[in-house]
Amino acid sequence: MRPPSPSIPEKEFIQISLQQSLRIDGRQMLEQREPSITFGPELGWVECGLGKTKVIAQIEAKIVKPTPERPYEGIITIHSELSPMASTEYDTGRPTEEEVTITRMLDKVIRRSDTIDKESLCILAKRRVWHLRLTLHFLSDDGNMLDCGCLAGIIALKHFRRPEVEVIGDDVTIHPPTERAPVPLAMHHTPLCLTFAFFPPSPTSDTTSALVLLDPSYLEQRLSTGLMSVALNAQRELCVVHKLGGVPMEIGEVMGVLDIAVKRAKELNRLVEDKLEEDWNTRKRIVEVR
Amino acid sequence: MASSRIEVLNQGGYRSDGRKQHELRSIAIDLAPQGVADGAATITHGLTTVLVSVFGPREAKLRSQTLHDRATISVEVGVAAFSTGERRKRSKGDKRLLELASTIKATFEPVIQTALYPRSQIDIYLHVLEQDGSLLQTCINGTTLALINAGIPLLDFVCAVSGGVHVASPLLDLNQLEENDVPHLTLALMPKTKKITLVTMETRLHVERFEEIFRLAARAAEVIHQEMRAAIRIKANTLVASMGSTRATVDGTDRDGNHMDED
Amino acid sequence: MDLDDDEALNSKLTCPGEAITSSHAYMRGHGTYVDSDEVIASVAGTIERVNKLVTVRAVHTRYNPEVGDLVVGRITEVQPRRWKVDANSRQDAVLMLSSVNLPGGVQRRKLESDELQMRNFFEESDLLVAEVQAFFSDGAMSLHTRSLKYGKLRNGQLVTVPPILVRRLKSHFLTLPCGVDLILGLNGYIWVSKHVKENEQEGEEGFDAEAVYSNQNDYIEEATRSAISRVTNIISILASHFMPLTDVVLLGAYEWVVDQDYQAKDLLQEDVGDALVTAMRGRT
Repeated sequence: MRPPSPSIPEKEFIQISLQQSLRIDGRQMLEQREPSITFGPELGWVECGLGKTKVIAQIEAKIVKPTPERPYEGIITIHSELSPMASTEYDTGRPTEEEVTITRMLDKVIRRSDTIDKESLCILAKRRVWHLRLTLHFLSDDGNMLDCGCLAGIIALKHFRRPEVEVIGDDVTIHPPTERAPVPLAMHHTPLCLTFAFFPPSPTSDTTSALVLLDPSYLEQRLSTGLMSVALNAQRELCVVHKLGGVPMEIGEVMGVLDIAVKRAKELNRLVEDKLEEDWNTRKRIVEVR
Repeated sequence: MASSRIEVLNQGGYRSDGRKQHELRSIAIDLAPQGVADGAATITHGLTTVLVSVFGPREAKLRSQTLHDRATISVEVGVAAFSTGERRKRSKGDKRLLELASTIKATFEPVIQTALYPRSQIDIYLHVLEQDGSLLQTCINGTTLALINAGIPLLDFVCAVSGGVHVASPLLDLNQLEENDVPHLTLALMPKTKKITLVTMETRLHVERFEEIFRLAARAAEVIHQEMRAAIRIKANTLVASMGSTRATVDGTDRDGNHMDED
Repeated sequence: MDLDDDEALNSKLTCPGEAITSSHAYMRGHGTYVDSDEVIASVAGTIERVNKLVTVRAVHTRYNPEVGDLVVGRITEVQPRRWKVDANSRQDAVLMLSSVNLPGGVQRRKLESDELQMRNFFEESDLLVAEVQAFFSDGAMSLHTRSLKYGKLRNGQLVTVPPILVRRLKSHFLTLPCGVDLILGLNGYIWVSKHVKENEQEGEEGFDAEAVYSNQNDYIEEATRSAISRVTNIISILASHFMPLTDVVLLGAYEWVVDQDYQAKDLLQEDVGDALVTAMRGRT
């Protein structure tokens, strides 16, 4: 069943407010909802929230035989499913268009952008590698699930520690965390995803460029004339740029949006680092961590 | 990803298939009708070939999916098992194909004047016959041509082109080898306003490098537009001419001397 | 583009996204839109101008109905008090129960019993010829068959051509001398059938429900059958070469085929088809 779309007055109210640079939740146009990050008791368990959008990310690692095509590389798989729990829009069974986009974007941001050094996950070439399994549970949808999901996934990867493994000849010894401190994953960089929504400018103004806002809420996402998602790291490297259709924009406008993304990514990166450090400080007393 | 044994760009400035950095592959466009489709196009960029059929606007198959104020668009992409070097059958539910289909749908939704056809449906079927890189580019260009061929009103052409950066040199219209090796992007442009409707990039690239290739690709899209426009014009011209010749000769009662000139 | 010249405006080709003229001087018609004071084409086709109105006629498109057009269609669905008819347009056409002639007098009230036996008149996949009566607010067309000329089609076969090739003629019911009737639907559906004599068509009463809604074909001789196939093949050849179908062209083409002594099957060969088209083009 298609969910009922917002009524015309609702739509008009939001559009006209935005033309006056006012968002319905009182944020600035380019302000992100403050991410709430909660770490679970286990390493690699993170609950991440943007407003009422909530995602849980969890990582499991096991030792498997590598694929014959990539004998020296570990395996990473991402599991994500939008269940009716997140919103009545989603149904089990045939994936919706949004679900396809989110799954593909997660795949591109986390797996294809070489976030994890896959070769470091190799224990014994052709015989034993680590298989990391990242599971994302989308708990509730209040817009921009993509950013929230990516953030949760990345933080979980950074938070996770795998048991130390010792290889002597052909023998593999796995040291339990109580014996030796588990090791963090070797990560090349930290891509962060930022989603922008576009709205048509007010007809009375003389600019034709669209209104840009960051981190759209549920209603904003539904009513926008286009979305653009950018994944990038704090080193000004773009990993994924994703503007599929929607309102046409000039080259300059697109570059402008990217500039904003560069700035926001740096701030977000700092926040993520701070939160992780804070969590380590509480944990140090319990287990020894490197 | 792939081994970097092949040289993407050699010392003399030539690419693995003998092209220069900014050279596009040859484009072949066939607008002949296919079966009962309202509009069809087969487009080839180098060794990538896509066949597109458009049906509609027509009565929607599922009444629950109709919109009271505009037409719905449905896109389906199929890939022939023989299209790649390694024979592989892709299932209909393949996420990559679903994404490709939803990308094409989202690209054309704001370009097709759907408001003219309330409660109708426009079906776009793409079939990939050969793959050698730049698949999204070929699909979008083919869809534009098929839609125009079907007489469906569009705001403008949508012209797509892919580009990549090898070390620091930008390349255009990548083939499969290059696509595996270098960071690449695809962009679609509406030539009249020079506005971008689609940009997608999936590999790591510095912002400054991105801007360079982005601007270059936008210029290349305009070159592709010229090719596409010429093909449409030739097709329209022959059709109009074949209608006009009989109108002027056989049906002499028509407004005299008003037949189409063949330029 | 030089717009002062009428000839130029009337015969120029255009493509989507091309500016045609200023929106101050002209009004936009079908196939165009206005953006920043310019009239811009949205389809590929010929520019046509009537006074201050500029339209672009797409070279190839689905059927755009107009009131009074004669169309051939096929029933797709039977709904309460109406039939849905596929007429090669952007939506299925509607044929209301009140717009058809029913047995027992032309001017009688529609009863509930009529509603219950709608499938006795037309059922799914029946072909019919009708006239466009009006439009609904969403652009769907409403048909009627309230004339003795209209109704269910029998004794022949359907050919489909691009709608633009069927020109508006004085009459769309043609009778070829070989005993073949043609109904040229403006929607590009053409019905080719055995000739029915005028007086048979219109009985004493003027309306014979039994015959009009019958599903039985009459007896058709072999000669007539081959004539029907021959005409069908001629039409598909002309359509594939994008030749407009008028009574003159069709008659000429049939004569040419008979002169050259070609059978229906021979026409499917490409060289024969090409020869036919060249012959028709060469006619003056």
